[in-house]
Amino acid sequence: MRLLSRNAEGLFWLARYLERASSLARVIEMQSSFGGHDRENGWNWLLTLHTDEPRFRERFEPTADSIIAFYLTDKSNPGSIRSSIHWARENARALRPFIPTEMWAQLNAFHGTVEEIGPDDIRLSQLPRTCVQLRAGCLAQMGVAKGLLYRDEGYQFFKLGLMIERADQTSRLLDVKFAQGSTVPSSTAASATATPGTETADDFVFWSTILRTVGAYQVFHRLEPNNATPERVARFLALNPSHPRSIGFCARSIDESLQMLRSGFRLPKANAGLEVCEILMEGLQAAGRDSELVGRLHEFNDWVQRTLIDLSSEIATAFFPVPPPLQPAPEQPAEASTPADRLDQVQSQGQSQTSGKDQTQSG
Amino acid sequence: MATIAALKHPQLVSALDGYDPGEFYCELLGSDKQPGRQIAPLWHCLETSELSLLQQRASDAEHELFKLGITFTVYTEKDAIDRILPFDVIPRVLSASAWAKIEAGVKQRVKALNLFLHDIYHDRKILKDGIVPSKLVLTNSCYREEMIDLDLPCGTYIHINGTDIVRDRAGEFLVLEDNGRSPSGVSYVVENRHLMQRAFPDLMAGLKVRPVSDYGKRLLGKLREVAPAGIDNPNVVLLSPGIYNAAYFEHVFLAREMGVALVEGRDLTVENDRVFAHTIAGREPVHVIYRRINDDFLDPDVFNKTSMLGVRGLLRAARRGNVTLANAIGTGVADDKAVYAYVPRIIRYYLDEEPILSNVETHICGEPEGLAYTLAHLDRLVLKPVGESGGYGIVIGPKSSKAELEAAAAKLKADPSNFISQPMIDLSVSPTLMDGGAKPRHVDLRPYAITGRDTWVLPGGLTRVALKEGSLIVNSSQGGGTKDTWVLESDA
Repeated sequence: MRLLSRNAEGLFWLARYLERASSLARVIEMQSSFGGHDRENGWNWLLTLHTDEPRFRERFEPTADSIIAFYLTDKSNPGSIRSSIHWARENARALRPFIPTEMWAQLNAFHGTVEEIGPDDIRLSQLPRTCVQLRAGCLAQMGVAKGLLYRDEGYQFFKLGLMIERADQTSRLLDVKFAQGSTVPSSTAASATATPGTETADDFVFWSTILRTVGAYQVFHRLEPNNATPERVARFLALNPSHPRSIGFCARSIDESLQMLRSGFRLPKANAGLEVCEILMEGLQAAGRDSELVGRLHEFNDWVQRTLIDLSSEIATAFFPVPPPLQPAPEQPAEASTPADRLDQVQSQGQSQTSGKDQTQSG
Repeated sequence: MATIAALKHPQLVSALDGYDPGEFYCELLGSDKQPGRQIAPLWHCLETSELSLLQQRASDAEHELFKLGITFTVYTEKDAIDRILPFDVIPRVLSASAWAKIEAGVKQRVKALNLFLHDIYHDRKILKDGIVPSKLVLTNSCYREEMIDLDLPCGTYIHINGTDIVRDRAGEFLVLEDNGRSPSGVSYVVENRHLMQRAFPDLMAGLKVRPVSDYGKRLLGKLREVAPAGIDNPNVVLLSPGIYNAAYFEHVFLAREMGVALVEGRDLTVENDRVFAHTIAGREPVHVIYRRINDDFLDPDVFNKTSMLGVRGLLRAARRGNVTLANAIGTGVADDKAVYAYVPRIIRYYLDEEPILSNVETHICGEPEGLAYTLAHLDRLVLKPVGESGGYGIVIGPKSSKAELEAAAAKLKADPSNFISQPMIDLSVSPTLMDGGAKPRHVDLRPYAITGRDTWVLPGGLTRVALKEGSLIVNSSQGGGTKDTWVLESDA
């Protein structure tokens, strides 16, 4: 029998939750290490970045500690690392007959350590250490998948989830400057839109930090020594074909996976997704030719994120079960909701707790 | 008693120091209370094992079970907690000849129960002949009129069966209960063995133990045998209530071992009385469903209307013969605690043979003599409600206070046909690793029989052990653990 639709969806979302947790750990780690002098206000932009402001302020005073807790350990925040790992594990649990035992065992043990992260582990002094552990756990899961997951249709869905989420996260990261600018007016806030050649020392620090966050600092400086201008870094993260976290690289991987599903696995339903992926790749090429890209970065990111949402909903429509399973509270999209936004969020595979009450088993 | 090893190495604290089964039959030492030649290598290994070291290894092994997710899930108001079934490292060993008797007895019992089910859903000869009271069968809540006159492939109703067997003071095997709906636990049989092989190869050295790891392969073979007529290469699936079910790990295990898809109700649809699974390439036909969902929840069209676990129209597809359900619907009549009392007569009726395995003597409280006897001897009997599973609601007379007995008598009088009673059996014990070393703990045995055209019995079975001192209740929900069960290749 071929891959169950439900399992394809599970693999897709397992990878997405994993990548989401991993990216968030990277962002928090970056902010804790290079966040500048303003320890309190320095964290507010995370709320803007994830459009969590109103939801957050309903319950908490925005301080460094409360924001960190909200994104790391808060069970009730569906976008926290803890929630992401929880849902990654729930998806993996449903996939246990399908995925290698080692994948499950690693994630199960990792989930245990994430559940144990307490207030002491997320104090600013301990935070980098905790983030390193979180990153390592996510990377280990991706590594086991890469090393052991059988290369059939299922692997392509895993890869699609990973790459779509990663492209989305890198795009959000490119938008950090915009998010920061809109919360904390500072001397550097407007610099992303400044004329090339007028960058400040703060800019250099900022964009180097972004590069470090995606693990591209070293390779960038190898390729373009002393050239960490907003312009060059943005182009690198958006368009570079060879760095695994650049949007361009992710788009190509998505295209490869969809081609593989269509031709290698004879699934013509992949065509709808391929069409959107083509739009994405063409748009990236156009951005490459755009000399004013850095000035339009927010607009560009907005478009990338919308196109990714279209892409996942085409994949969902073609391959995933209908009607969708019951959900936990949907995560707030980065931008104001469009119908496509909501569709994307609704597909997230978080099986409802209520189905657990309706169980029966004898013997 | 000091072990020989302890005498030789006075500083050694051995796991077996002071082990004494008392008046009970010991599974390792047998009736003469001495380690026999067959288990000598195991006994020697335990004798020379440092207690603290063995305990450390046991705790590591349990940790590994947890890490691998070989767990069941307990639900509280707020949380879902994964627990392992406590695992005891000292195995339970069955000789080849003891096993031969169990195997033959289980096969005989399963054969008779399948014939009984066919009969009560067709001609009802056994009822007409007055062997089993009609009322007991036809008004039983597990009797399913939907099954009347339906002919099943190979005439098999109970494809997967678990027989709960105990051993009395004399070492005699007695059947305590049949499980013909969806008996669970077989995953632990195989996983316990794998754990033993990985973590305690020294204990296994020198003994020839029959393998259990081909269970999945055998099960798939049997399920293929009962595919609808005309299907040469049937699609077999395992239907699970999903990840929130307490036995979900077992469903994963079985699907994995058989190499079939684990589906939930929402993965299947019925169209034109045929069952299909939703795959990424579209719908694929399904021919055999090993379902781990109770009858009640299987098809919201027919049974529980609110069930979100089942598949609409599944029963019609089954009635049309387009899909085989394993186990069949309506097998619960055969493992009913009241029908149990009649199983020896059922065996004689259909097979014209004496039962190879005896029942525990059982008084049916729904009958006047049974009720009178039970009320008169309640302090010496075990009183069991017929509708419960998991060891709930059992009253053990000799261990109950006067007030508890009075309460039980009141319940019994209010609804006599809801109860049976049995004499208290002094269950056999097996040395079990506790804090202070090996202690005698009571055990039972559940062998698994799978049936298509004929029956195969997994050489081993689930040995459940009551970890609490003196406790006779081995159910995992009541503090029971498990042991690996070794069936020896030969008596030589």
